[in-house]
Amino acid sequence: MAFTDRCDIFGSVHEEGINRIVRHVMQQRPSLFNYATAFFLQRPELLCERIKVAPEVLRARDPLFSVEDPIPVLGSPVPLGLNWCLQFTDLQIDFHPGNVFDLPQELGKLPAQRLALYMRGCFGLDCLPERFIRELLPRVEAEAVAQRGKETFGIAAFPQGDKLAEPIVFPTQKLLCFCVKLFAVLHFEWGTIPGSPQMWLKVRLDGLELVDLGPAPLEEMVECYIKMVLQLGILPRLSVPIEAMVLNITELMRKQGLSIGETITLQPTPVPAGVPNNPAVEDDQLKAFVNLVVEV
Amino acid sequence: MAHFTLAVSERTFQRSFDLLKRNLTFAQADQTSFGIFVAGYDVRAHLEGGTIDLRADNTISVKELDIRWDRLRFMLGINIPEICVGGGCINMPWPIPDICLPRVCVFSGNPDVSISPDLAAFVAQEVSFTGSVVARYFDASLPVPSPDPCAPIRLEPLPSHNQWHIHIDPQTIDVDLFDFPDIAGNLIENALSNAIRAIIPGGFVRDIILAIIGGIADFIRFLLDIPDEIDEWLSDLFNVSFGLLDFIGTLILDFFSSCNPIYRIDDPFELLPARDGLIPVRIPLRDLSVRVNDVEMVAEVNIGG
Repeated sequence: MAFTDRCDIFGSVHEEGINRIVRHVMQQRPSLFNYATAFFLQRPELLCERIKVAPEVLRARDPLFSVEDPIPVLGSPVPLGLNWCLQFTDLQIDFHPGNVFDLPQELGKLPAQRLALYMRGCFGLDCLPERFIRELLPRVEAEAVAQRGKETFGIAAFPQGDKLAEPIVFPTQKLLCFCVKLFAVLHFEWGTIPGSPQMWLKVRLDGLELVDLGPAPLEEMVECYIKMVLQLGILPRLSVPIEAMVLNITELMRKQGLSIGETITLQPTPVPAGVPNNPAVEDDQLKAFVNLVVEV
Repeated sequence: MAHFTLAVSERTFQRSFDLLKRNLTFAQADQTSFGIFVAGYDVRAHLEGGTIDLRADNTISVKELDIRWDRLRFMLGINIPEICVGGGCINMPWPIPDICLPRVCVFSGNPDVSISPDLAAFVAQEVSFTGSVVARYFDASLPVPSPDPCAPIRLEPLPSHNQWHIHIDPQTIDVDLFDFPDIAGNLIENALSNAIRAIIPGGFVRDIILAIIGGIADFIRFLLDIPDEIDEWLSDLFNVSFGLLDFIGTLILDFFSSCNPIYRIDDPFELLPARDGLIPVRIPLRDLSVRVNDVEMVAEVNIGG
């Protein structure tokens, strides 16, 4: 069977190709996947997970992570900050049939025309040793007494003046880390969007599961939040109008100085008249079917 | 299974070929002088006929594509230096008026003598071509052969980094510089049509006769084209081209097939550009291949580990 039996142009990408690209991006642009306080610039070995990078990143002295502000110690009259890190250590995709990674029992077997996502993330937070706390306590107590009677909101005192005080950040000796694995099952579907007459290609979430997070209510709460972030925050932004998928060849040629008296476009092969699914998620690939349309 | 696959159907090639024929015209005009000589051209051509076929032996065949000249006018002129006689006046004593001689100049035109024949009706070319699309890897670390046979005809300098090159690899090419069957057919058809139009101003009778003339002219074209058909068939069969001009054409295209790719892809391929002092993200491309069968052309590439 030919690739183009049911269309004019066929394109496909295999899950292994995408996963290799993701690995290259993670190793060449680690700052997109790792976030930590400036302290770790000198001590990257203290991060939760060792960051695997391409040799050229080290040669170019590119940052291994994006530098973020310390997490404040709430309520402290002295501005105190704690070192932390957030690392996305693995990201993979699996097109039906599922064979790149095993889905947790809660999600079952990957259904037809579905794709699965796997992500592993680690969060680490510094925990000050008791001797640091003892060392700090006299200064904190003195400041607490000095600030008595000033206006406060809850447990946090707002800093006075325009300039935010630099927090005191103690050097980290060892982060407390935990890692979680997130699995999601998704599919593509065509549909309308209120206010737009054309069809849109949307990404829909079928299920999501966090593994190794407890207790159960905490897992449920975090899962629910991540679902909302995906369904209401990220996935709607990924919707693509069919108009954006139509490649206007006439216009492209006109820009190259070649004028054509006909309108030539590349358009997605219609579903289900042309093909049963477009894009199709099958045979470990994402497949797209395209037709050449010529209008005089 | 390849990581990335792109396939284009034969039907798409045929429709694109038809679109190209319908829309592609070539027009150019220029004039320049070399001392007393002036030379120029004014040409306009379009494509007609021909077929494109994807074949099971990994080749693409374009057959009998006609290059039709709408205008093929060449101009050659000579600018002879101007020569003038007369023009002076003889002063006469009063009251006799002065006598002035008339001034006569020759060769005051620009150019003075020129010929500009339009050969459009007498010239037609027909091109048949069989070739494959091949992907080759350019390894920048390897030394360039010495002497470098491509150096005189290389359109772009060799890259300083590794690249995948897509080449057209011609196997046979048949160019009829003067397509006599078409020329004869066109001349006969034009002459007879003009005669009929002069005799019968209009109406369905004239249209019928003109249609018959068109058929006769096509038959003449067909008869005269038989030797050429045989030549093309033999060329196809033995994978070589006959005729000195065809041989030269094949030689030239062979050179181009090795020296000038039609498309280049950097390896590694830049996925994300350098930004804010960060190095670009580059993806290694492996096993790029292009193959043709009788229904489609398929390009595949893998991502390196």
